[in-house]
Amino acid sequence: MSEDVIFTPLKFRNLTVKNRIFRSNISGRFDNEDGSLTQTRVNWECKFAAGGVGAIISSYVPVLMEGRIIADYATIHRDDFIPLWERLGAAVHRFDCKYILQLSHSGRQMDFPGVHNSHRPALSSTSRKETLHGFLCRAASKAEIDHLVQAFAAGAWRAREAGLDGVELHAANGYLFTQFLSSGINDRTDEYGGPLQNRARFLIEVIRAIRARVGREFHLQVKLSAVDRNNVIPWEKKGNVLADTIEVAKWCESEGADAIHVSTGSLFPHPLNPPGDFSFETIATTYDAMIASGVDAFRNFLLFRYRMLRPIFRWVWFRMKKGLPVEGVSMDEARAIKANVTVPVLNTGGYQTASFIRNGINSGAFDGVAIARSLVANNDLVQQWGMGRDLPERPCTYCNKCLLNAAKNPVGCYELARFPSRDAMIEELMTIYATRPTLNLPPVVSAKAA
Amino acid sequence: MPVAVEAPVTYVETQLRRRRRLLLPLLIFLALLLALGLIAVGFALAAAERLTRNRTEAFPDILTHFEHGSIGADQSSGIPFWVWKALPRLFPAEFDGHLDYRAFGFLYRTDSHGRQEDLPIGISKRDFRGVDLVWFNCAICHTGTFRAAEGAERVIVRAMPSNNLNLYGFIRFILDAGVDERLKPDKLIPAVQAAGANLSLIEQQVWRHVVIPQMREGFIQRRSRLQAFLAGQAPWGPGRVDTFNPYKLVQMEMLLDGISPDELHAASDFPSIFNQRPREGMHLHWDGNNSSLAERNLSAALGAGVTPETVDHAAIQRVAAWLGDLQPPRSPHRVDAAAAERGRALYMNACAACHGYQGPDRYVFEGAKLGTVEPNGTLGTDAGRLDSYTEAFRQRQLAELFAGTPFQFKHFVKTNGYANMPLDALWLRGPYLHNGSVPTLRDLLAPPGQRPSAFVRGVDIIDGKNGGFVSPSCTPGSRPAQGFCYDTRLPGNGNGGHTFGTTLPENEKNDLIAYLLTF
Repeated sequence: MSEDVIFTPLKFRNLTVKNRIFRSNISGRFDNEDGSLTQTRVNWECKFAAGGVGAIISSYVPVLMEGRIIADYATIHRDDFIPLWERLGAAVHRFDCKYILQLSHSGRQMDFPGVHNSHRPALSSTSRKETLHGFLCRAASKAEIDHLVQAFAAGAWRAREAGLDGVELHAANGYLFTQFLSSGINDRTDEYGGPLQNRARFLIEVIRAIRARVGREFHLQVKLSAVDRNNVIPWEKKGNVLADTIEVAKWCESEGADAIHVSTGSLFPHPLNPPGDFSFETIATTYDAMIASGVDAFRNFLLFRYRMLRPIFRWVWFRMKKGLPVEGVSMDEARAIKANVTVPVLNTGGYQTASFIRNGINSGAFDGVAIARSLVANNDLVQQWGMGRDLPERPCTYCNKCLLNAAKNPVGCYELARFPSRDAMIEELMTIYATRPTLNLPPVVSAKAA
Repeated sequence: MPVAVEAPVTYVETQLRRRRRLLLPLLIFLALLLALGLIAVGFALAAAERLTRNRTEAFPDILTHFEHGSIGADQSSGIPFWVWKALPRLFPAEFDGHLDYRAFGFLYRTDSHGRQEDLPIGISKRDFRGVDLVWFNCAICHTGTFRAAEGAERVIVRAMPSNNLNLYGFIRFILDAGVDERLKPDKLIPAVQAAGANLSLIEQQVWRHVVIPQMREGFIQRRSRLQAFLAGQAPWGPGRVDTFNPYKLVQMEMLLDGISPDELHAASDFPSIFNQRPREGMHLHWDGNNSSLAERNLSAALGAGVTPETVDHAAIQRVAAWLGDLQPPRSPHRVDAAAAERGRALYMNACAACHGYQGPDRYVFEGAKLGTVEPNGTLGTDAGRLDSYTEAFRQRQLAELFAGTPFQFKHFVKTNGYANMPLDALWLRGPYLHNGSVPTLRDLLAPPGQRPSAFVRGVDIIDGKNGGFVSPSCTPGSRPAQGFCYDTRLPGNGNGGHTFGTTLPENEKNDLIAYLLTF
């Protein structure tokens, strides 16, 4: 019996991962408001490490407090958080699993600004509001861009100091890097706007700064959206095409990136990322949490809330999905990028079938896949494949209720049909809280000493 | 205590507040636009309601219906009620200084408080497209008056000929007024307001730019059709109308040049319209050109101003049904019964075959030749009226009027004489012959050469000695103190013919007249 390619190690320049399966970036709202991570995050990541994935790409981790997407996600903006991340890395390493920290900045795509950010517009490449929710922003000055570049470099350094296995720049899905890269969003007239080379300048500067800060031996990968498809709101410009992203990927490689992680879409969520269904009944009960976040959010709430208005959003959302598969939705784009770079290529987009992934690797579409939802549904998916299953017994249905619940509820699988009962579903959701932190008593400061 | 405006907590709220502030003028503008739109829609609906309005009062009482019920002429030929009211103020000379239409012989009733009614008898009113229009109905030509003597009370009699109505004078006045500068909006609107219209500012603009111009346009159009014809006519005098020539000019849109001059002198007396049912099948109209009461009625309605589109058949049929057995008031004349009895014998012998006769209670419509056409070769009365109705005109009447409807004319014929008329209500029908050329019955029994060549008509004092109305002789061209000087020497006014009884001895004539005075 020949060796299963899924279970062959993937060798990057500075990192070897035991198999080809990466837990893609996903998180719940379970960290502290100050950006420090919690026991719950440790529990969450260990679920996947225990399930057999080769590496975990952390959830989106902001390099600055002003770059948070969601207020209570862990950050890496302070040196005193290094021990916390170190603890998390150590926890994951026990399962022979690597941990890659995803360095991120929301730019204008800030779902929950929180107390740190709600009083000001987010920094972006542009001062034009985000089009789906109406998130507000202003174009960063050159000095602010320099500050951002350094913040990424510091974040990478902290990850290395924490003993983590690498970093990923989240340059996909509409966050700050995309806002610079995308011709549909970036309206700058300075050296960071206009032609592709200018639009890629911020990303390239960050890669250079990281390499300058952490050297060539620390794993650095870049997640890119292969195609922007920025016209989810129909009158928007389409943004970057595949050829643009191939160029950017090549530049990343030449600047020292060790891998390219291929996704799609210039915003998140996007009709094609994560691919699958859209539960109006779910979002009608959770989107209210975002009404205060954007100037157009209330409009969306009405579109979600009232049945007679839903066809409008349904048309907006589903028109791009026509003719495209859920599993491997951007596989062809990954294949095109892989053909143009020499570093390994990862791909994300609905992967769940072992044979499909095997075929993707063997046919040269990608070297590994990053999976979120299918692993949330079946934490032991990799083990099930290892036991010979092609699809898990109760596969992910791509209902996307995990995503649409994220605004309000604990992260996890909300597809009731996959569980014997609602209680069983809740029990599963609560497992991330199972290992409880040791509670420390705050020091008593005497009045005299104060 | 003033409430401080709390500052927004988030940037999004700050921007939303700014957006609302920036949008406020637009919202106010849109709200105003919406309000104006709603007002415009309101006005449009109100205007649409007015512009589709077409209603007239329905009178349960047949007598009021006869005098004021609409037959549809008001819609097609009418003038605005308030113009009707204003005209006497604008043209005091033509109205003899009255604020009503008595100067043209229109008759007014007084209400229970002794006040003269707004509209004269024979005028109906209809709210058409939001404007009250007034014009003729049947009663205009078929309601007259009599007085027993000078100073006696004037009695209005429905269905007798309109012996007072100066239709010629009225039509000429209206047509002239249409091109008179006094009907310009600047003069007419104040007069309309003075007459009590109380038009709002908007209504005044509508009148200025729509109602008055449309009305004047109508006047000018009618004037262009009728003016040359009327100008070529000697005034008809009260109680007379030319039935068919205006019909040719207005309804058929024939040109005056295309009408033979022989046809143009046809003014005749209005007929009485009592006892219509016994007349069914007789040759109706003076020349007997139609034997259908319904067609004759409809044709007369066209003369009053209805069109095939506006005619109210039900209203006309209601009048016709009432007229079917309507009895005229009994003759008030006191006669020598013996003389009348002798006269009756003479009449039954010589006249009844053609005219029927007066029974003790009511008129008897029996006679071998009653209601038939007597060739004018034997009759010899003035041919103007007979000649005005031509075969060519008849062809167009049958082909064009009410074509394709159940009301299409079928019974008109061209005759060669005048019909033998029943003589019911004879005491109210002077002057006599179709053209009213012979003032009294006594004159009719005189040889044509001895009949008055000019006499006053339009005085409603009945003549108990000679029959008909008091008709003193007059000088043609003069204006008598009362009435109108009728000149028998004018074309169409000839008083020849119908020489029956003219050779009777005087005592037999007296007897015959005594009997005829009981009709």
